[in-house]
Amino acid sequence: MSDLLQMLKPKTKAQSTTLFAWALIAPAAIYMFLIVVWPLVETFRLSFTNSNLGTLIEGADYIGWANYEKALGGRKFPAIVNRTFYWMFLSVSLKIILGLIGATLLASNIRARGIIRALVMPPWIIPIAIGCFGWLWLYNGHFGLLSNFAEMVGITDGPFSFLGYKKSAFYSAVVTDVWIGTPMVTLFFLAAMQGVPRDLYEAAYVDGASRWYRFRRITMPQIMPTVVTMALLSAIWTFNSFEIIWILTEGGPRGATTTLIIDTFKTAIFSYKFGAGATRAVLVVLILGVFSIIYLTVLGRLSRKYGYLGVQK
Amino acid sequence: MKNIKKALFLAVLGAGLMAPVQAEEVHMIMCGGEIRDADKAVIAAFEASHAGVTVNAEAVPWGTCQDKSMTLAAAGDPVGLAYIGSRTLKQLGRSGLILPVEISEEKQALYQPGILNTVSDGGQFWGFPHAFSTKALFINCGLVEEAGEACVAPRTWTGLYNMAKAVNDNTSAAGIGITGKDFDNTMHQFLNYLYSNGGSVSDAATGEITFNSPETVETLEFYGKLAGVAQEGPMGYERSQLTQLYNDGQIGMYINGPWGAGQHNDNIAEIVVPIPAGPSGESGTLLITDSVAVFKGSANEALAMELADALTSGEAQYDLDMSWGLTPILQYDKMRDDVYYTTDYWQTFVAPIGSGGPEPMFEDFKALQMGINSAIQGMILGEGSAADLVAEAAETLAEGL
Repeated sequence: MSDLLQMLKPKTKAQSTTLFAWALIAPAAIYMFLIVVWPLVETFRLSFTNSNLGTLIEGADYIGWANYEKALGGRKFPAIVNRTFYWMFLSVSLKIILGLIGATLLASNIRARGIIRALVMPPWIIPIAIGCFGWLWLYNGHFGLLSNFAEMVGITDGPFSFLGYKKSAFYSAVVTDVWIGTPMVTLFFLAAMQGVPRDLYEAAYVDGASRWYRFRRITMPQIMPTVVTMALLSAIWTFNSFEIIWILTEGGPRGATTTLIIDTFKTAIFSYKFGAGATRAVLVVLILGVFSIIYLTVLGRLSRKYGYLGVQK
Repeated sequence: MKNIKKALFLAVLGAGLMAPVQAEEVHMIMCGGEIRDADKAVIAAFEASHAGVTVNAEAVPWGTCQDKSMTLAAAGDPVGLAYIGSRTLKQLGRSGLILPVEISEEKQALYQPGILNTVSDGGQFWGFPHAFSTKALFINCGLVEEAGEACVAPRTWTGLYNMAKAVNDNTSAAGIGITGKDFDNTMHQFLNYLYSNGGSVSDAATGEITFNSPETVETLEFYGKLAGVAQEGPMGYERSQLTQLYNDGQIGMYINGPWGAGQHNDNIAEIVVPIPAGPSGESGTLLITDSVAVFKGSANEALAMELADALTSGEAQYDLDMSWGLTPILQYDKMRDDVYYTTDYWQTFVAPIGSGGPEPMFEDFKALQMGINSAIQGMILGEGSAADLVAEAAETLAEGL
């Protein structure tokens, strides 16, 4: 024992420093292992089993790639993947566009700016479930505000149940997701805009640059790192967005709002097919991983070529 | 010092003697979001007769309740007993998460016909039936008469459709309320029509799926036809939302259980009639029960079993049915002279018990719900022929059997 301790004892100052660094990192590393790595490995293991409610007592059997073959070979799976990407693309695009518009307005020198900035926050601050229940009422065909308003101004000739049809249910869910997600994007963009040096604008102004030109050539390139980061984070969050869809539609009608994460929940928790559900969770991780790599690679190349998008060096 | 030793000795001795009557807790989950007074009375009496035993009765809304009970059991921390939908019993029983229950022959003889089928699998009972419902059609006579029709019970689907169409065409209300949301009672509403058309989901004896039949196709087609005279966007509605529409005078009629009258506004002049018969069958109804199941592996299985039996027996069960307004689960006329279900209103719900069809027991009951609901939604959306949608649903059901 004492020999072992002697062996482990640092012999040089550099070794001692390294050991100390590892000791400092260890608690966080162990914590990360327990809450990230271990569940991930366990999910991966589970995805190769037939684990379900019926196997809890006797234990699940290893079934190889069967879950993957069934998931990838299912006739609904390609449609779910396509829908998930469309949902993500649409929602993130709207959040980025609205976030940019909102941040630009909030950064401008308007009256009661502080109050207006505070008013942007509620959709993000209030619990998602409460916000969604509010939208649930708004979308109701007979008692909902939106339906009644549309009828009152003559857009519709009777009640319209926004969540009762495939397309309207999907776009209604997108609207709610955008409503919840935009404030955070706006605030991040606003913070980035406030960090842009004022003298750049002043110089451009002296040179006769228009507002649009200053926005395109100064603001956008300066805040582009934030836009890129927010777009990626927002894409991942939207891809995995669960509560909004579940509360509004539970993935219906007839699967019209079933995204990969809803499908995973329905399989693993709703139907108690833990193995098949774990397979879908692994596929989500793989798809998001590949998407992130492609996204960052493409943006990296564009940045190297053009500086930040749109500004030719 | 001697006194301290003596005191310690007495304390240890006392603790040892107290151990047998140490507090024991029976954890119970009650789906539905509330614990009824009739059940509270049984629980109080149970606690009074079992010294040191407390019952932790937790009321959980239906939307999450069954999943909570099953997830706790799956996670190795089962509750003692739970009041849940009987359709879950087959899956729970076959997964080894609940215990089979003993129902005395005397008690078995008291149940209404078909009730015990809703809790039986593999020759055993997996829960004590505790709540029972049959369904009927509630018609708002004010709207029907406003549409120029006489408010009399339609006997056939043709009569039902014509009445709904008249209300739809001649008043500001929709003719009928139908459900289409991803919810269990969408399937339940459909099964009421299916059983009124001679259809079935599976063969109780052989377990074979019988859903793919001409009767089911006919029923699905009729459901799609009803959507044309129903409230706008049926897929946004489940049954409790139809009750709101009915109270608001926005639908002319809809199917509900015997508690419906108590939920409806007093100013609605209504009649309650049997579900009209389809072209291939006779008026029928869906027989649904909820049961008290005893979970395996809780600390107090025997106590939980005893409590489950007490909750579902004799006068306690009568009090619950009467106060809640449920279809009588036991034949109380064999137990007592005065029963609450002698009126015409009640006979509409009691008479079809013998000819009703059960809520099917599937090992994967969620597959049952998803399969049937998908066919209903497909029909409402016009995404295929009834025959194709039924065939597709039957395949899903076969996987979940």
